[in-house]
Amino acid sequence: MGNEAIARGAIEAGVKVVTTYPGTPSSEIADNLSHVAKDAGIYMEYSTNEIVAVEVAAGASLCGVRSLSCMKHVGLNVASDALITLAYTGVRGGFVIVSADDPGCWSSQNEQDNRYYALLANLPCLEPSNSQEAKDWIVYAFDLSEKFELPILFRTTTRISHALAPVKLGSIRERIDHGEFIPEVKRFVMVPDFARVRHVALINKMESVKEISENSSFNKIIRDEGKIGFVTSGASFNYTMEAIDILGIEASVLKIGMIHPFPEQLVKDFIKGFEEVFVVEELEPYIENAVRSSASSLGSVKINGKLNNFLPRNGELSTSIVTRALAKSLGRPLPRNFISDIPFEEIQKSLPPRPPILCPGCPHRATFYAMKKSMKDIQINCTDIGCYALGIQAPLKIGDLLICMGASVGAACGISKVQERPVVAIVGDSTFFHASIPGLINAVYNNHRIILIVLDNYATAMTGFQPHPGTGITGIGTQGKRVIIEEVVKGCGVEHIEVVDPYNVKQTCDALKRAIEYSGPSVVVARQKCSLLATQEKRRQGLKIIPYRVIEDRCTKCLACIKALGCPAINIFNGTVLIDANICTGCSVCAQVCPYKAIEISRDEADEGM
Amino acid sequence: MKECNIVIAGVGGQGVLLTAEILGNSALIEGYDVRVSEIHGMAQRGGSVVCDVRIGKRVYAPTIPDGMADIMLGLEPIETLRYLRFTSSKTLIIMNTRLVKPSSVLMGIAKDLSSHDIIQIINRYYNNTVLIDAMDIAIKAGSPIVQNIVMLGALASTNHLPININTLKESIKQLVSPKYLELNIRAFELGVKAGKAYLSSRH
Repeated sequence: MGNEAIARGAIEAGVKVVTTYPGTPSSEIADNLSHVAKDAGIYMEYSTNEIVAVEVAAGASLCGVRSLSCMKHVGLNVASDALITLAYTGVRGGFVIVSADDPGCWSSQNEQDNRYYALLANLPCLEPSNSQEAKDWIVYAFDLSEKFELPILFRTTTRISHALAPVKLGSIRERIDHGEFIPEVKRFVMVPDFARVRHVALINKMESVKEISENSSFNKIIRDEGKIGFVTSGASFNYTMEAIDILGIEASVLKIGMIHPFPEQLVKDFIKGFEEVFVVEELEPYIENAVRSSASSLGSVKINGKLNNFLPRNGELSTSIVTRALAKSLGRPLPRNFISDIPFEEIQKSLPPRPPILCPGCPHRATFYAMKKSMKDIQINCTDIGCYALGIQAPLKIGDLLICMGASVGAACGISKVQERPVVAIVGDSTFFHASIPGLINAVYNNHRIILIVLDNYATAMTGFQPHPGTGITGIGTQGKRVIIEEVVKGCGVEHIEVVDPYNVKQTCDALKRAIEYSGPSVVVARQKCSLLATQEKRRQGLKIIPYRVIEDRCTKCLACIKALGCPAINIFNGTVLIDANICTGCSVCAQVCPYKAIEISRDEADEGM
Repeated sequence: MKECNIVIAGVGGQGVLLTAEILGNSALIEGYDVRVSEIHGMAQRGGSVVCDVRIGKRVYAPTIPDGMADIMLGLEPIETLRYLRFTSSKTLIIMNTRLVKPSSVLMGIAKDLSSHDIIQIINRYYNNTVLIDAMDIAIKAGSPIVQNIVMLGALASTNHLPININTLKESIKQLVSPKYLELNIRAFELGVKAGKAYLSSRH
């Protein structure tokens, strides 16, 4: 996997400090390093959020050791405040920041193009096109960082991070384990007088990096024939090569691996002599604008990209999209076998949708059910980033607003100020620590009548069960100090706090009723381990999971359980309601929901288990 | 062989990714270049999952272009239909006929579709098919959890993969936990047998 290749590359480069806040498609980089950290002598931490991750790694780098921070594209928004000024101070030990972008929003709330952060911060940025390059280039990125004392941005996308491809490993270099902080006030203390000078230093450094970009093998002519030129990078390079093959055209291809500073002269020399140039890139016209600028003195080259609608400005590209666009633009017929000859669109229309849903026994489902029952659906639900965003699916339909990490709390404050309905903010445990605390303090300070529900399932579940401050488990797998959510809430000044077990429906409903009646900000912590995690742990410990079952004589087939919960473990077979014993986690919530007491624990198995 | 493009479709939890890894790893052992795409993030279980495996002398993109799948390995019939845009009438369809009902159907907000209907659609458009009930076979092997390996066995029983059956078994050994190895090998072999039986019944 591309992410594994990056992790391996970091080890080969002698990385000492690794920090992250997990987020798809970046998570496996740091997760893999976390697995080996203890044995390899690497320090790895799951930081509370991305800016903290960058600050921690930067601190270590300033002492001279090699550091890596990994995050998803929107994580770099959080970290950007530190990033941009770090470009001024520069670093000492090699420091690489991986930004895994998500064109197509496969698992994100937006598809922003983080190449612009390289421009904004004016920092070198590398973009690999496959796993091998990802591995090799990360090693180089550390060297480059140390040479120019600059943080390096390393941009991947889902199709690089989450693609599996063969990788030839390199040797592991010697690592510097201990650093020293040598003060240099004019360089590291960014008061205005010093910052102005450091900005000039950055500009000068980047002039030197530009020479490397003009002459480096990262920016390489891959094919050299014909009268058509292609400029491309990253995942788009692969689609371009395939499209050229499929259409059988003679063309030259320049692959840009160092996308900032942009190799203007190289591009200018490359496009000279072509009648037409195609820029193939995902999302914004980043390379296209640079190519147009390089070509401005050349006269009559036609440049195709986003700006003349050759390719769309949204979503992921693919071999199909590039081939079709190219065939259309060049007036070439598409090879016959290229579009399916099956009426697949017609067939797809008749298919029932299968959106991702909350897992069997998910404690969030239980909390959402209690919310609907006790709040009678009059409330506004500001939800947040995590598994619980899946609550928007029927039948729960919990979620009226979702923007970014922690936004539920701040937005709820504003909503509560200007209308009468109760306002709920829903955050997970990891999201609570990441970005919800300033919002909560704001609610206390300005007396916003919001109800904050913290869904504490002991994990950053959606991204792969990474630990967080509420678990106390560290990135190297040791037990550290656990930060207790309700104690933090109390410390923020909240006066109405309750902790409930969402598997106890009545207790949860009662607590929610009290919260909604409270006159100031209130917090309910719904604490129950993620059902996937709990099931895994039980299996590992050899404990039996005792499922529930439907007592057929008592079941009136009212389907209250299915309609209220939508748990994938409850099915209908030939008109009979059945609980799938293979996936039921024994959470008992359906038994509490059933009006006819027709759902019970599977007694035989319970007895056997005792 | 110029290239072999395999789409694997199924429901989260059915082992789509593991199946892709076994195929990819096998192709590497046989000296091919390989790309496997995987998308995950939203929900560990229950959602629609698709994965592409591309095997060839030199492969660039990890994703298969529309209409260019040589093989569709469908671990679930509804999900097989969902990704037909990657296939053409020449594609070999290896499909598990055992349906997993989506919650949208259970809650009555989407129209039901039977396994029988789906088999009819597949037979109408494709000549090259292996349609088997992998659930039955997996239970015979020891657990419903190995339906994916049964289907991999059914795929191996055709002559469409550029990979030796023993290489696939070797990959299963490398990638499956030793505790479940015997179960998986049994499932694989029963899948091969079922695939062969299906093909000979069609001829």
